Amino acid sequence: MKIKLLLSLLLIYSISAISQTKEEKEAKNFFWGEHDLYKNVNEIPAKWNNESAVIIYKNVNYDFHKFGKKVTYKSSIRKRVKLLDKAALDNFSEFSFNKQFWSKKGYKAKRKGDVIIGLKIIKPSGKEIEVDTKENAVEVDGETKVAIANLEVGDILDYYILTLEPFKAYSAFGFDPVETTLAEDYPIMDFKLFFETENDFFINFNSYNGAPELKSMPTEKKSFRRYSLEASNIEKYSTNRWFYPLVDLPSYKFQVYFARSGKFENRARAFLPKKESDIKKEVSMEEVKEHYGAFRGSLPGSATKGINKHFKHKIFKTDTEKVTAAYYYMRHHYFNQFIEDSYAFESEIVKFPITIDRKNSIIQSRSRFFHRFKYFLKEHDIKYETVLVKKRYDGTMDDLLIAENLHRILKVNTETPLYIDFYTFHKGINTLSPLVEGTKAYLFTRKKSKIDKIINTTIPTSQYTDNESKKNISVSFDNTLSTVSLSIENYYKGHSKTIQQNDRLVFEDYIYDDHKKFGTKPMTALVKTSKKNTSRITKKFKALKEKLKENQKEQFIKLVQIEFDIKDIEDYIYNIDDTGRYGFDTYFTFNESFKIKDKFIKKAGPNYIVEIGKLIGGQVDLTEKERKRIENIHMSYPRVFNYVIKFNIPEGYTVSGLDKLKKSVDNKTGAFISDAKIEGNILIITTSKQYKNNYEPNSNWPLVVNFLDAANQFTNEKILLKKK
Amino acid sequence: MLKNIYCLVFIVVFFDNVFAQKNIDPTPEDKRFAKSLKEKYPDDTVVLKESTDYVTFNFNKKTEKVNVNQESTESMISIDSRSRIQKYSFYDEQTSIDKFQIKYRNNKKAYISIKDEAYASDDLFHIDTRVKYANINFPLLGYRYKTFISKKYHDIKYFTKLYFNNDHPALKRVIKIEIPNWLNIELKEINFENYSIKKNVSNNTKRGSKIHTFTLENIPATYKELNTPGPSYIYPHILILAKSHSLNNETKNIFNSTQDLYNWYKSLVNSLKNDNTTIKDKVTSLTEHAKSDEEKIKNIYYWVQDNIRYIAFEDGIAGFKPDEASNVFNKKYGDCKGMANLTKQMLIEAGFDARLTWIGTKRIAYDYSTPNLSVDNHMICSLIKDGKTIFLDGTEKFNAYSEYANRIQGKQVLIENGDDFILEMVPEVNSDFNKETFHYDLTLNNDILEGKASKNFNGESRAGLLYSFDTLKNDKKEEFLEYYLNNGDTNISISGIETTDLLNRELSLNMSYDISVKNAVSSFDNDVYIDIDFDKELENFLLEKRKTDYIFSFKRFLETTTILEIPTNYNINHLPKNISMSNNNFDMSVSFSKNKNIITYKKSFKIKKAKIGISDFEAWNDFISKLKSIYNEQIVITKQ
Repeated sequence: MKIKLLLSLLLIYSISAISQTKEEKEAKNFFWGEHDLYKNVNEIPAKWNNESAVIIYKNVNYDFHKFGKKVTYKSSIRKRVKLLDKAALDNFSEFSFNKQFWSKKGYKAKRKGDVIIGLKIIKPSGKEIEVDTKENAVEVDGETKVAIANLEVGDILDYYILTLEPFKAYSAFGFDPVETTLAEDYPIMDFKLFFETENDFFINFNSYNGAPELKSMPTEKKSFRRYSLEASNIEKYSTNRWFYPLVDLPSYKFQVYFARSGKFENRARAFLPKKESDIKKEVSMEEVKEHYGAFRGSLPGSATKGINKHFKHKIFKTDTEKVTAAYYYMRHHYFNQFIEDSYAFESEIVKFPITIDRKNSIIQSRSRFFHRFKYFLKEHDIKYETVLVKKRYDGTMDDLLIAENLHRILKVNTETPLYIDFYTFHKGINTLSPLVEGTKAYLFTRKKSKIDKIINTTIPTSQYTDNESKKNISVSFDNTLSTVSLSIENYYKGHSKTIQQNDRLVFEDYIYDDHKKFGTKPMTALVKTSKKNTSRITKKFKALKEKLKENQKEQFIKLVQIEFDIKDIEDYIYNIDDTGRYGFDTYFTFNESFKIKDKFIKKAGPNYIVEIGKLIGGQVDLTEKERKRIENIHMSYPRVFNYVIKFNIPEGYTVSGLDKLKKSVDNKTGAFISDAKIEGNILIITTSKQYKNNYEPNSNWPLVVNFLDAANQFTNEKILLKKK
Repeated sequence: MLKNIYCLVFIVVFFDNVFAQKNIDPTPEDKRFAKSLKEKYPDDTVVLKESTDYVTFNFNKKTEKVNVNQESTESMISIDSRSRIQKYSFYDEQTSIDKFQIKYRNNKKAYISIKDEAYASDDLFHIDTRVKYANINFPLLGYRYKTFISKKYHDIKYFTKLYFNNDHPALKRVIKIEIPNWLNIELKEINFENYSIKKNVSNNTKRGSKIHTFTLENIPATYKELNTPGPSYIYPHILILAKSHSLNNETKNIFNSTQDLYNWYKSLVNSLKNDNTTIKDKVTSLTEHAKSDEEKIKNIYYWVQDNIRYIAFEDGIAGFKPDEASNVFNKKYGDCKGMANLTKQMLIEAGFDARLTWIGTKRIAYDYSTPNLSVDNHMICSLIKDGKTIFLDGTEKFNAYSEYANRIQGKQVLIENGDDFILEMVPEVNSDFNKETFHYDLTLNNDILEGKASKNFNGESRAGLLYSFDTLKNDKKEEFLEYYLNNGDTNISISGIETTDLLNRELSLNMSYDISVKNAVSSFDNDVYIDIDFDKELENFLLEKRKTDYIFSFKRFLETTTILEIPTNYNINHLPKNISMSNNNFDMSVSFSKNKNIITYKKSFKIKKAKIGISDFEAWNDFISKLKSIYNEQIVITKQ
């Protein structure tokens, strides 16, 4: 019996071994067989001789085939790369991959996927050496690592990686969208992308910013379709500050959708072409309307029971007040009130989240939140519109192709319209992602709760004054002029406070105020267990909060060290005065004070030089290469940094050098304006650095450089403390 | 309603199940104790109340090897409001972990999952070491756990040492080694001098063994500092010298002497085929036009350095046995052993006497007088010619012939010599060999310092720079030079860079360029304040809290001369004071002088032994404080 079983196992093994070999052979023939047009291309253009490596040929393939519910998705990449230096040699000489993996696509039953790789080296003499990927490889915990033997600078490495991913899709299935530039880290001589599909696969594909178009190719079968995109002579690109590659560089985007019947096509969460034989290049407003009109859901009547109960005895003067209150109610009831439970669970203080005993359940889905919010607005007869927005880094609304790139927000037509976005821990009402500000968007008008029209709209842009970082810094030296004490009041509002709140706040800073405000209970009050266990959980939770506070202090210290480029600080204390979590224009405020030794001051005979300019923190310090920037400038949002520095002049000294602290560069892109005056024994310096817009065309770069340079020069300015 | 009640019941039951374990929370005494420990160990989060290793030996008749069983028991206490640590143990082909247990203080099992992963090393392409580990949460101050790990070494030669220090401080550390009478082991005590380690030997007549017990109390955690000496220099430990075993009236040596260690190494080397067919042509092409033996050797040595990449597969015996030279040659990669063997075989093909050579780098405190597998960690090739030995290390890049990297200088080597072996020392050089000389010739012009500069590098300062440059992307090389020369400071403009050949490892490396510096000069009324130093070396080298010697990667010697010519209508009003320090380990000085309108600023930092020892910290810090003051001080000139 045992022998039989063993034999049958062996048989299965050998069959799979043979079929694997067949696929490997097919892959090899596909890339390096007789039809390979690049097998003899070994030379690179002279203009790229000084590059690290040059990609002679880059070939990307996507094959989508099916048999009933069974889908076979094959994707592959081949690169033929000439290695010109040791950096490239290091980069390409080691590969790691998982030969087999579990596909996460489609129906739950997981199917095994395979990865096939092929590697060959072409020596400068033209001699080809195929690399045995089994011999120079090790497999550890499923990961195979290959160290490519006999690879040297001057060689060409030609490799392919093919992923076979079969899975079952009973209804519709959308493959992950691809959005990429043609250019990459190394220049490319020839690039070819091929698509092969058949019926039931729908393709959205378009090229942008001057990238070549996808072209149809002849096929041997009627139901098969093949397309190609070809480009040549692509320069490399390197990442840069304030740069959106998909907006400025030739690029392409696509998404493939599998839908077995018209029924599934309609349910597809994508803008599908009418027929499989069409490639969808653009999405019209009408299509967007149709698509969004198709999805509607309903809510139980109890959905807003809680909020209405909470509002029962409240009187709102305006709808603005009411909508604002509703937003914060939802932010707390459906999200923030669970934060303690989540921490307790994650920290293994409780083995089961207590959230089950809270009155509402957590909502972490954008659509569920909007659904509920709209329901509330309807109930209270407050007019609103749904707005679809698209983030700036992947192009404008005119370039819309992929449904997932659209995000829903609400425009509530109160006295002054209020925009509602999906909450985060601290996001205030009327706070939209800075990535959608100033963009073209679509707005749905409704008639009798049905979408009536879709119209163009533009999302308002915050002003630089809205996004403010404000600091009042008081500086004094001790008697020996070796230790400086800094006391700083920090204020952040608008988009400028988001990162600060995320970096600095811990839940203890706000959740208990919120619990009080919204009538919910702290986690420890909800624990239903014996007295002893409750006390145990309470103690552990208290210890957790202590630890989080310790970490918070360390984080504050770390941030101030980075800001002023300092190492050892002493006597650091801080206090959060206002968390700024209710409103876009409320300040997140904290103060801090600390001491530093031998910093910002230099001895100069009997006098001292104070590097006062460094107190505005590190500034953008442009390299020569950055000054020659050719890309447009995409900033996160307009913003201003307003600083007031009060420097206590040490007794027995006078101050010289105020004139250098007075700067004024102000243009349409931004400004750096500073002033200095002495009042009594205090030198008062004010600075304002303004980034006026979130976007500047490259032609404005010299103007941006002007104010950036002025601010950077300010950090180099010093004053003289002259002994009286 | 029913559903809610059901949920509630479920929660209550669940909570009671999970948290009804008695006696796992800290007692008031534990809490008080933990608080007092925090005062003692403010930088730590967990303390080992007691840590015991119990080591026993047995003879495996099947494999004919002596097996080692190491049972480690620890009792841990949290000294923070909340702590989280990782308890881990490594194993590989030669070892196994039989038990990994975690218990609460009441001795009930703690349900913490034990993970098992391959250990990934940044330096090694593949290593067969795996790690078993657990993430342990201490939810309260004073919370305690006990851990027990039983690890087996399948061959005693891989059981090399036992340390007293751990990731966490320990109040009591006990190492108990029970040596059966049939086993001859020397327990060599290393770095015991400054510690009061109690020792006790007792007889276990029943089992025919002797139990050696070492106890040390109040041991700090291992130091979390950078650039420390290797652990074998700074921590007390026991080196296990397994000499022989005598069973059934037969004595078999393990590593009774250096000869035994050599014999084992040599047996691995002897199993190599050394078929050099594939390397012959390359050797011919490298040597046929060479005008001298030295040129032939250099051509081979440099070819290995430049063309063989360091990729290590440390798998089982491959950790000790070199790869065939032909394999390394064909693959164009290998580890130190592979490179040493290829260098050896290529030199033999070229008609030279070349030998494999074992060495422990400077991170290892031992020499071959203590035969043990932890004595060495590296392999090089020795060339014996005209009665002299030249050491060739293929893993070093841009290393000139007969120059030796600091990491092997002064270390003993074990050179193959047929059935015998040779012990020699790698010569040491002094810091002059690595001298870096900077020269600035500047004039002051409208608050700008401008002029010519040059930087010259020798020895390891040269090799390091050439190697960094060589590994950069071609299109980044120019940018890098500028960045390197202006220290990443955009106030310093560099132009007209000229360098010596950046691929030549034998020439002294020289870079000369034009320099222009803004914002280093501040004018107020008639006074001009000049910050003359743009490099400010050692500025951040105050070693105030450090507990261990600071180790440099090589013996540094830096000399900078800055000549500043000021306009003739200015007087030199103030120059900082000169400073100096000189002793056996350092020669350091900074001086300023003036002659008419010329200021000469000189710095000379010679670190003779590539280290700042703890005993030198006071003098060192005193000098660095003064140096910082100078760096913070301005030269003052005044308009006449």
